[in-house]
Amino acid sequence: MVLAAAALMLGPLVVDAQSSVPAKAKKVTFTVGIKQDIDSLNPFTGIVASAYEMYQLNYETLTDYSVKDFSAKPALAESWDTSADGLTWTYHLRAGLKWSDGQPLTARDVAYTFNRVRKGKYEQTNFGNYVAAMTSVEAPDDRTVVIKVSKPTPIMLHLYVYILPEHIWKDIDEKKVTDYTNEPTGAGIVGSGPFLVTEHKKGQFVRLRANPMYWGGRPKVDELVFRIFNNEDSLAQALRRGEIDFADDLGSNVFKSLKNAPGVTTFPAKSSGFDEIAMNTGAALDDGTPIGDGHPALKDKRVRVAIAHAVDTKTLVDRVFGGFATAGTSIIPSLYQDLHYDPGSSAYTFDPAEADRLLDAAGYKKAANGIRTMPNGRPLRFRLFGRSNSQNSQQTVQFVQGWLKDIGIDVRSKIVSEDSLTEIIGQGNFDLFEWGWVVEPDPNYQLSTFTCANRSYKDAGTVYANLSDSFYCNKAYDALFTRQSQQVDVAARAETVKAMQKMLYEDAPYVVTAYYDDLEAYRSDRFTGFQAQPSPHGSLLFQYGTHSYRTIRPVTKAAGPKAAQSPRSGLVVGGVIGGAAVLGGLVFLGLRGRRRPRSEVE
Amino acid sequence: MTLIATDVPSPSPEDDRGRQRRRRGGLAGFAVRRLLTGIGTMAFVLVFNFFLFRLLPGDPIALYTRGRNTDREQIAALRRALNKPIGEQFVNYLKNPFSSGVDSTQFSRPVWDVIGDYVWPTLVLLGTATVLSAVIGIAIGIKGGWRRGSTFDRTSTAATLTLYAMPEFWLGMVLLILFSTGVGVFPGVFPSGGTLTPGLDPWSVDGILDQAWHLCLPATTLTLAYLAEYALVMRSSLVDELGQDYLMTARAKGLMDRLVRRRHAVPNALLPTITLVFLNIGFVVSGAITVETVFSWPGLGLLSYQAIRGPDVPLLQAIFLLFSLSVVAANLVADVVVAAVDPRVRT
Repeated sequence: MVLAAAALMLGPLVVDAQSSVPAKAKKVTFTVGIKQDIDSLNPFTGIVASAYEMYQLNYETLTDYSVKDFSAKPALAESWDTSADGLTWTYHLRAGLKWSDGQPLTARDVAYTFNRVRKGKYEQTNFGNYVAAMTSVEAPDDRTVVIKVSKPTPIMLHLYVYILPEHIWKDIDEKKVTDYTNEPTGAGIVGSGPFLVTEHKKGQFVRLRANPMYWGGRPKVDELVFRIFNNEDSLAQALRRGEIDFADDLGSNVFKSLKNAPGVTTFPAKSSGFDEIAMNTGAALDDGTPIGDGHPALKDKRVRVAIAHAVDTKTLVDRVFGGFATAGTSIIPSLYQDLHYDPGSSAYTFDPAEADRLLDAAGYKKAANGIRTMPNGRPLRFRLFGRSNSQNSQQTVQFVQGWLKDIGIDVRSKIVSEDSLTEIIGQGNFDLFEWGWVVEPDPNYQLSTFTCANRSYKDAGTVYANLSDSFYCNKAYDALFTRQSQQVDVAARAETVKAMQKMLYEDAPYVVTAYYDDLEAYRSDRFTGFQAQPSPHGSLLFQYGTHSYRTIRPVTKAAGPKAAQSPRSGLVVGGVIGGAAVLGGLVFLGLRGRRRPRSEVE
Repeated sequence: MTLIATDVPSPSPEDDRGRQRRRRGGLAGFAVRRLLTGIGTMAFVLVFNFFLFRLLPGDPIALYTRGRNTDREQIAALRRALNKPIGEQFVNYLKNPFSSGVDSTQFSRPVWDVIGDYVWPTLVLLGTATVLSAVIGIAIGIKGGWRRGSTFDRTSTAATLTLYAMPEFWLGMVLLILFSTGVGVFPGVFPSGGTLTPGLDPWSVDGILDQAWHLCLPATTLTLAYLAEYALVMRSSLVDELGQDYLMTARAKGLMDRLVRRRHAVPNALLPTITLVFLNIGFVVSGAITVETVFSWPGLGLLSYQAIRGPDVPLLQAIFLLFSLSVVAANLVADVVVAAVDPRVRT
């Protein structure tokens, strides 16, 4: 109370003191508020999105994803060519590349990095899929990298492996790398990207400085700061105050509240994530042995399609996502225009009557209690799991429960942690659940979650979850999966990928409910020059590549000082006066108690 | 009428030396007995803690590898690290309960290192708040209790009860909006979160002032929230003492009202408050999840929340152990301190 009161009294003083500070040539700092701590700065260890943002800022890759449409674009390699059989790839590095410590960046560093991943068990955890097909990586000269692969693969266009400086990392051997934190010292982490991490205060912030050696030229801001907020409301307040310049991953209520904040521009960016209702299409191990206790009716495609007809994705978009989403269809979001399959007129529209008709025709008659039963008399009573850490998930579950009741399906909903749900799914002990995925520009991983081989597996007598969570298994789909994984021609591969999505859409192991937006807001009065990926509706930051960081610039020559972020003189004044007030009060209280000499009273 | 009851215990310094010495001996015995019980409790906590986290359902490795490019062999290696035979795990755990040989799955570092990063901000924040709220709360309680029914008593009781009833995060949010964002006449002078402005050296003069500045809002929030407990306990125990005979005796001796309060009533009435202070110190380590969340204060409360969300079992286990041990230790200290000042409880 004392502190608050002191602040109240001192407030104007502090503000005055701050504005009287002469405007020096200040560093231009762009501050991003994030909600997730960086788990590790070692690119072989970290897994969270904020950590990956640090890696790509600090380390360049051979090729980049274009800001326009994710197509392959030169980065460290200025060009590349493929042999006729598609088995030999030659990358030509730019001239004069340098590490931030001044050492030349050569093809040997590139070869070192790829070979390290190929040979290192631990290193493969994050980057194994990029090197899986590689049989040799060599550097015949300083600017040429030759990579041989066992079969043609489109991943060679997007080798998003962060190239590391051999002269630093050669000292961190296989044993040390697992515990290596890669925390910055001195001038920052030695890298080749546009910014270099110079300070990491765990749980609080990461600071990066512009890299003057960057091949694309020095960025237009001097410093980047990523500040960690554990609360969305304080994140929004910090943006309002100008303590930070950018916030993303906001909830729709906070986002709406920022709409009229002065100097702030809100931007609902299309994101690469989707949410779905997944169905147990017949849980089994990768060898086909059935597991779990999924409801047999869900093996029937007609039941799944009826459910797809009964889920009103439009309502979910409006009521659960506050309108900041697009109704979903196939498993590659519409953000990836070239890959997304749009069912068009054959889409499963919201139509409970049609759902009823399908179920009637398939022989699932309604019993007296209004619940449909299988021909063998077993009622259509499904367990639907939602996730305890997601409000959206729980709301979706409630809606779906109501809609399915309307078509005679009894749904028991259960909210569990993601950790428990992972186990329940892996054992096949579910009927329906709500969850989602974030889809990479390369569709391979997402498509692989529906292959027969990625169903659960048994190891030493115990059943473990794998990537498949619907237990979809279709030989024709698997054949197409193998085909797309070897198609280097972008257009031809897109056709295969669309055919696979069509297959999934028709078989309906998932009802994709929504492609949700990433709600972003930034100080447009201070910074400009953001690039959306893909243009023009995609994300402004946290992209595949460091596009916006390289082009953002202050609105005026020197972006105004941030509001009261470090009111040094004000702080001193406030501290002294506040301290004096507290001391004065204590002295006063003390004196009052000892006003009279002891002798007088005893 | 006997005004002086001979066996009324009065811990005032006028007691004779001989009795003091006897009491001190009794205290040592008591302290040793309490210490042994405390160690027993800790041993139980240690073992219980181990098995508690072995009972958690779920598949942390599958969740950890979901959306990552890991093959089965790598996953199997991860499982082997986490799922060693239970006996082996238990032995490793007893050797070093805080590390258990497995890194935090979330931070990929030894759990003790992770906790080390977060323990200081928590100690600073909760320590400040506990001291401030105890001092201010006790002062309010004494003043209100001594003049029961006065305007001060009624306003302070109402005010502290109101603050007590407010959810901490809500109070924090209100303070944040008023004094950080700034509304109307309220100046937005405080930072919205964190402990330090990026770019400052934490050990420079500027850095220390800056950290104090960051501490203001969260510490005020917690002080206000904790205030009522101390004020109300102090007030009611003082009110209990008001009708005691020894106070009448003191007054009859002709002592000033102020001295009666300070030398006779307050020391006796302080006992429950002392217990409360020490019990709360046990919870200092466990942080304040909600306030740490509102002000993005990187403390243990927040870390435990993150660990549960994972769930990061190795980290969670170490945090729980730390929390339980600090509570047991604080209880122990509270028992001994109360026994030291009040011989009646040495049984």
